[in-house]
Amino acid sequence: MSDIRLDQLTHSYGETRAVDNVSLSIAEGEFYSLLGPSGCGKSTTLRMIAGFVTPTSGRILIGGGDVTRLPPERRDIGIVFQNYAIFPHMSVAENIAFGLRLRKVPRAEIDTAVEGALAQVGLSGFGDRYQRNLSGGQQQRVALARVLVTKPRILLLDEPLSALDKALREEMKFWIKDLQQTLGITTIYVTHDQDEALTMSDRIGVMRAGRIEQSGTPREIYEEPASLFVTTFIGQSNVLDATYAGAEGPRAAAMVEGRALSAELSHALPRGSAAKLVIRPENVLMGPEAADRNLTQLPATVIGESYQGAMVRYRLRLGSQELVAERQNQAHLARWRPGETVTVGWDPGRARLLPAD
Amino acid sequence: MAELALSEVHGRRTGGRRLRPTLWWLVTPAILFFVLFFLIPIASLFAISFDKGAQGVITFQGNLTLDNFARIFTRSLYYEAVWRSVWLGATVSVLCLIIGYPLAFVIARTLRPGAALLLTILVLASMQLDMVIRLYGMMVLMGDNGLINTALMKVGLISAPLPLMYNSFGVIVGLVQVTLPFMILSLVGAIKSINPSLEEAARSLGSTRWHAMRTVTWPLSLPGVYAGTLLVFALAISSYVVPALMGGWKVVTLPIHIYQQIAEVGRWQFGAAIGVVLFGTSLLAMAVYILALRRQAGGRM
Ligand SMILES: Nc1ncnc2c1ncn2[C@@H]1O[C@H](COP(=O)(O)OP(=O)(O)OP(=O)(O)O)[C@@H](O)[C@H]1O
Ligand SMILES: [Mg+2]
Repeated sequence: MSDIRLDQLTHSYGETRAVDNVSLSIAEGEFYSLLGPSGCGKSTTLRMIAGFVTPTSGRILIGGGDVTRLPPERRDIGIVFQNYAIFPHMSVAENIAFGLRLRKVPRAEIDTAVEGALAQVGLSGFGDRYQRNLSGGQQQRVALARVLVTKPRILLLDEPLSALDKALREEMKFWIKDLQQTLGITTIYVTHDQDEALTMSDRIGVMRAGRIEQSGTPREIYEEPASLFVTTFIGQSNVLDATYAGAEGPRAAAMVEGRALSAELSHALPRGSAAKLVIRPENVLMGPEAADRNLTQLPATVIGESYQGAMVRYRLRLGSQELVAERQNQAHLARWRPGETVTVGWDPGRARLLPAD
Repeated sequence: MAELALSEVHGRRTGGRRLRPTLWWLVTPAILFFVLFFLIPIASLFAISFDKGAQGVITFQGNLTLDNFARIFTRSLYYEAVWRSVWLGATVSVLCLIIGYPLAFVIARTLRPGAALLLTILVLASMQLDMVIRLYGMMVLMGDNGLINTALMKVGLISAPLPLMYNSFGVIVGLVQVTLPFMILSLVGAIKSINPSLEEAARSLGSTRWHAMRTVTWPLSLPGVYAGTLLVFALAISSYVVPALMGGWKVVTLPIHIYQQIAEVGRWQFGAAIGVVLFGTSLLAMAVYILALRRQAGGRM
């Protein structure tokens, strides 16, 4: 059963439609990420769920009940803000006790719960500190403890890692995910960082200009992108100009540089229409690796090579277009120099034909 | 003065950088002006308050005496005036806070910037018009034959005019009208500097709007509350025009005494002594307030 359901949710700030007809269902215990570029409406969506922004139209259901008109304090939701929002005039312990006091929990129980929450986030002994004496990562943990101690039904996180430095971000990424899994709490995580979304999420909703462009598991989002935007926003993709030449069994035939190539097709396209053939750099094979007859094979010229340690990146010319290949840097694999010609190839199942944007 | 007092309350001091010598000439005009038109007059008033009384003489004669102060402190008339001034100042501060806080909150937190700007302009506009004109306007409203009394008598709610003016009530209303913008502006600044997600965090932890305001917004806006109340108190206790016009000389505060001594009887020495007492009263009242705050904050600030 779905725990959160958004039904045609829309919000306009005056003329701008910050969130445009968003519908989605999130299952109980699921870790769902809203991923998209700055200004695409992620925070506005989250703030509508939390109850700080009133939808222009549409409904929000939590556990089957309509909460669209409920004030924030009656939604049973915990939210962690980008700036953590630790109350500066209260100690860490008082911050964590805030929600419990409101729930009229007896004094002794509050003290035990606060200790427990501090231990859970690895901050035992920090109860008497104040916000100004905490690092960003510690504030982050306090904010989580403060929310989790009230055992909310839903956890909302708005770019919780973006204010931390890179090393801490990596660490907190796994820590938050572990905590979420241990508690089994339904979570919506807002981020513009694809790595965070891919590693942490059960499912991702990719947002663009107020709409959810694609919603699916990290694997689906990465390997079966529904649009050119998704495939270029998440990871890197080679985007080749192509023309749709019609169906070819379960796949599509596309004309690229005068050759008929086959690719996966997820959108119906009119025959003869301009389209894009999309292939990830790590799926472009070269030389002996591309020798298999079942692969799409093309002659190409190496025009650039850049060494990246574990990887070597090749820039390749394919007729009038360019292509990037990323190969493992391993002793048994061949290397090419700029100017050399090489056969490139890929599994047609890895190539996708998408409508031009 | 309020500003100084505040940095005391919070014990917060910004480590100032040394001014480069080449920049001194930039501040020279201001310093000269301050010395000439503030320090010298105030210092000479202070000096003549210790001079032997001589009608019409306004320069320092050097006949040192404490007679002026002895006279003040032996007459209940002046004790009453001191008490009246302090009481009026405190009442006006509290009223301004009660009336001003909700409005300041709305201005600081209103969602649309346009509406906030409009309210701020209204507050500022009410400060633009000369105080005397505003007070005469209030007299038209509140006098015995004023709009309020005439209207109430017409509908038959009262048979004789209500005493709205020429008493403490009138003075308090007048002082609140004059000082409220100062309170609102210092509160708006303080509330605006509070991160709104703190209130939102409180809300989703279970606070009602009112509870979040009481437990988060209010304590965090206290610096503005202190600044506003001190400012209003200082303005109210030293106001002469408002008690004169709205009190009709019947609400006798220290500034009224000063005016009477100097402008009407020409006893500059005695008037100056009352001025010194007013200044001392003001400082003492603020010191008490600040100490009380310190104690209440338990050294946390
Ligand atoms: N209070 C507001 N008033 C007017 N417009 C707003 C307001 N808040 C957001 N917007 C606009 O709504 C759109 C979506 O904003 P939102 O904050 O939801 O984006 P976001 O995806 O969270 O972006 P970011 O990654 O930068 O946080 C943006 O175009 C933004 O300018
Ligand atoms: Mg945002």
